[in-house]
Amino acid sequence: MKRFAALVVGFVFGLTLSWSGMTDPDVLRDGLLFRDSYLFLFFISALLTAFVGLRVLKVLQARALLTGEPVSWTGVAPERRHVVGSLLFGAGWAIADACPGPIAAQLGQGVFWSLATAAGLVFGVWLFLRRGVTAEDRVRTFGQRVERAPVPSEG
Amino acid sequence: MHQQLAWYVGGPVVGLCVVALRWLLNERLGATSAWSNAVERVSSPGVRFDTRGWLLIGLVLGGIVFGIFGAGLDGYGWLTETFTGDARWLIVPVLLAAGALIGFGAKTAGGCTSGNGLSGNAILSPASLVATATFFGTAIVVSFVIEALT
Repeated sequence: MKRFAALVVGFVFGLTLSWSGMTDPDVLRDGLLFRDSYLFLFFISALLTAFVGLRVLKVLQARALLTGEPVSWTGVAPERRHVVGSLLFGAGWAIADACPGPIAAQLGQGVFWSLATAAGLVFGVWLFLRRGVTAEDRVRTFGQRVERAPVPSEG
Repeated sequence: MHQQLAWYVGGPVVGLCVVALRWLLNERLGATSAWSNAVERVSSPGVRFDTRGWLLIGLVLGGIVFGIFGAGLDGYGWLTETFTGDARWLIVPVLLAAGALIGFGAKTAGGCTSGNGLSGNAILSPASLVATATFFGTAIVVSFVIEALT
């Protein structure tokens, strides 16, 4: 049931991103070059809706409908990695004119070029995860302390 | 679906996806973590598809439905305009590299446009505010650089 719920949310997310042109590189580009206000209006209205909606859940002290746990979250303090990672991410985003959600939707749409973007994305994620494993192995093998900030649930 | 959805419809619906995932499962919506689950599933034995992986499947399904009923793309932005004829294959390594930057960068930053940009900012998480300012700023600068070069 939980997985089905995630599937449905993902479906609505993917369909709406597609229908709003977020999978169209020209829409992204026109936004980032300030030729068209759609991208920013879309993003800001999505953010405001999410902000108000989550506020309402908090005020109502809602419990998660499918797990029963109290709805809660914690903020994260900024670190170097948030800046460094976002520099890399922002550059890739502007070159491909697509980010991870729309890349998945592009695959579904059958956009030929998205195969390359998705392959690169998988490689990048794999490289990051592998680096983490290597650091853990080093600790296990040599007993070294490897300074590595814990990575909270990311999106 | 041939006409682009108005921003004041599309934006709020995407915002409600963030709220829905929180209300249903108390989880943070993020496309990078969805991809990450799929990569973990393949690369590490014992890892299964959880709600994140199913979110990714949903994203692809949403794309499939739009692919059937929506307007198709004509070319691929600046890349198909710039790399034409014999140089067209160059788009593949460019997109591979861009994808790798997206994947590695978003994992390092703890989120992408959805995880940090929407879910993180909506709870006013300081790290997400910093990340969002950084990736939007970088993307704008890089877009203008590409525009100047092509």
